[in-house]
Amino acid sequence: MLKVSVVSPEATLFEGEASSVVAPAFDGEVGILPSHAPMITVLGQGTLRVNGATNARFTVSGGFVQVVDDTVRVVTEKATAI
Amino acid sequence: MAKGRELVGRIKTTENTRKITRTMEMVATSKLKRSADRVAAARPYATALGDVISSLFNADLAERFPLLRQPAAERRVAVLLITANRGLCGGFNANLIKEARLTVAYLEEQGATVDLHVVGRKGIGYFRYIGRDLATARTDIGDIPTAANAASLVDALMADFAAGVLDAVYVVHSKFNSVLSTPPHTVRVLPVAAPTRSGAGRDYLLYPSADAILTELLPSYVRNAVYRALVETAAAEQAARRTAMKSATDNAGEMLNLLRRTYNRARQANITQEIAEIVGGAAALQG
Repeated sequence: MLKVSVVSPEATLFEGEASSVVAPAFDGEVGILPSHAPMITVLGQGTLRVNGATNARFTVSGGFVQVVDDTVRVVTEKATAI
Repeated sequence: MAKGRELVGRIKTTENTRKITRTMEMVATSKLKRSADRVAAARPYATALGDVISSLFNADLAERFPLLRQPAAERRVAVLLITANRGLCGGFNANLIKEARLTVAYLEEQGATVDLHVVGRKGIGYFRYIGRDLATARTDIGDIPTAANAASLVDALMADFAAGVLDAVYVVHSKFNSVLSTPPHTVRVLPVAAPTRSGAGRDYLLYPSADAILTELLPSYVRNAVYRALVETAAAEQAARRTAMKSATDNAGEMLNLLRRTYNRARQANITQEIAEIVGGAAALQG
């Protein structure tokens, strides 16, 4: 399982476990599964999908995703839950 | 009983004042709760951003980013003062203004030209009064500052800094340590202070590249510093107002006790005197 958190300057929008994350990177979507190598990538604009017990969707714009030790941090300037 | 009438009037006005200050105290208490939550909610983002920047940061990169440029001397600097739009919050605004004045005086002593940017009606009012020119004066940021507010404040300053027009940007705001501790505080947001790396750096896959990521994140970092200053000042304002209004309510209560006691004493003295006069009059008639 992945530990996922989605944070914007104003609030933490999501915190919990997920089986996979699909994020809109600057050059297309990036899928993240457990045991992903440590990675930092810049985000573009689009829909962030957190798949797990509860599927969560967010519209995000700008910021970055950091993956390290099965912990995914989505840090974005603008995020709204769908 | 002329004195009695007067006292009744004062008791009534004090009661009314106490009613207002008590309401303001309660309003500030509920606003403070929400403002303090916002301060806490802003923390994870700042931590995450700081972490990533520090893990990507190294001395070579520093020279290539305009926001990390360390000017040899501060010739022209900007000071951004954040105050409240409203008063009735004790020494809150006065403390911020004092801190700003000291910062400006210090910088000018060092030979810098200081552009003063002020947020909040109270700060603007003061500097207008002493006749200082303000580079910008904004009153449109309310109790709930947004990240967009912060961006609109600092983006122009960042552009000026990157272009070499400004050599430093300072922010004067209130720290929100706790409800009882909200000291005014000056931070330098530009040039960006290189965050120190904690622990060993990891080998990240970087997309598109460390440079591109930093180009994206450094402005966010600066904006976030300003956003946090806004949020903390908003919370500190409510905390200061609550404390001020609480002591005002307490003082009004004390004053009421005193006035009521004086009034009742005067009333009793009056009655006693009337009885004495009646008794005296009756005794004179009988005698």
